[in-house]
Amino acid sequence: MVLRSPLHNTHKELGASFTEFAGFEMPLQFSSIKKEHLTVRKSVGIFDVSHMSNIWITGKDAEKLISLTTLEDASRISDEKSQYTAMLKEDGTVIDDTIFMRLGEKFMIIPNAGMSDIVTDWLNKKAEEHNICATAENVSKDYVILAIQGPKSRDTLQKLTDTDLKNVKFFGCQYVDLAGINCIISHTGYTGELGFELQITPPEKAEYVFKKILDAGKEFDIKPIGLGARDTLRLEKCFILAGNEFEDGRTPLEALLSWTIYWDHEFIGKKSLLKQREQGDYERLTYLECMEKGIPRHGCIVQKNGKRVGKITSGTLSPCLNKGIAIAYVSPDNREIDSILDIIIRDKTVKAKVVKPPFVKKDWILTQ
Amino acid sequence: MTNEIRDDLKYTESHEWLKLKDKKAIIGLTDHAQTELTDIVFVELPEVGKEIKKGDELCVVESVKSVSEIFAPVSGKIINVNKKLDDSPETINESPYDDGWLVEIEIKDTKELDDLLSGDAYKKTI
Repeated sequence: MVLRSPLHNTHKELGASFTEFAGFEMPLQFSSIKKEHLTVRKSVGIFDVSHMSNIWITGKDAEKLISLTTLEDASRISDEKSQYTAMLKEDGTVIDDTIFMRLGEKFMIIPNAGMSDIVTDWLNKKAEEHNICATAENVSKDYVILAIQGPKSRDTLQKLTDTDLKNVKFFGCQYVDLAGINCIISHTGYTGELGFELQITPPEKAEYVFKKILDAGKEFDIKPIGLGARDTLRLEKCFILAGNEFEDGRTPLEALLSWTIYWDHEFIGKKSLLKQREQGDYERLTYLECMEKGIPRHGCIVQKNGKRVGKITSGTLSPCLNKGIAIAYVSPDNREIDSILDIIIRDKTVKAKVVKPPFVKKDWILTQ
Repeated sequence: MTNEIRDDLKYTESHEWLKLKDKKAIIGLTDHAQTELTDIVFVELPEVGKEIKKGDELCVVESVKSVSEIFAPVSGKIINVNKKLDDSPETINESPYDDGWLVEIEIKDTKELDDLLSGDAYKKTI
């Protein structure tokens, strides 16, 4: 069965065309992926990302359960802070990447679309196995998640609340009264721009909040944004998409997530990661910018001197750079910055350069 | 959504239009097709002089999100391609029936033209 967002009809009214993603029918675009993309880079856009999951973790050992099952030692994360992390199997491969928020005694985690049952079951199983007094509850259906992203996102939301949003620091999270509705706000996002995400419950209240935000953003030409631009925006900033970059079982070391690993604590998968780190000989994510015309796509092979050295997991045309960009797993000896590799696109070879992330730098807008 | 259909053109169910003159046809994508594809960002055109059979891949049109193969509506020889699309693929979105044409073909077998649709018949398919 295909699931829909509680805002489905609102999107329809706004002219959305839809796409299926991880079992959800969600807006692909409202006007044009390119226009929506540039709206977020230059001003502000609003996304419905209700396909993402919501899980509450409660109980006196909730912190312990998160520490055991993620790369983070949750005791380091204070109240009203959130953290990006990943959950591993014993063999070190990623089950899912996620953000968790500490809100008083409870934690909320936001796994990817279609992962809510898998992650909930995993957490409860591990709690039982390790005698941890904590419970994970899948509440995805009780929440609508909105993302308001872009340089004008704070100005837009500030009109709807008395809480000074400048005090909600990067990766901060708290309850807030927004347009008269109590919701969770976090200074997080998937676009690389200033932005916030809202968790709204019950879902019936979301349409009102969504429309209030559209009204508040009118002076900044706010637009509703679909999954098409969500993908190009994250790709320009080299953010991982779990379904693509963790396909076939990848470890956080391969996915260049070592910055999220807090080694000084015990967590599931740690032994395997230590072993892989010691061996050192593994493919790693690599960022490729095309030097010729052509758009790299998921599954394209990467070669050097006619020999396969890697495979693309995500690729697109960058709307900001107007060049093909791609993320690939490439063997360790072939991914030095500035080296030139070949991407095979429909039997043709397109030259691409290994670049430092992100493709689109923070000051891109100043160059416009 | 725009859906302009011109009466002086022939159409295929796969959303190409053909402008016929003598034994030549200029081929492009319909307004309906460009609206569906949105934001065309890359076009891979065939080589001039290439012989092509009806149903063969004629060119590839890419939007930000998707890759679409366009198949030849008739057999023949490619005698001209729209070079402008190399640098400005969005011309297909802006002017699907005029500046955004794809290729010109010298038709090999005019009998194949019998399979093409009139504007009215095409309208019923979309």
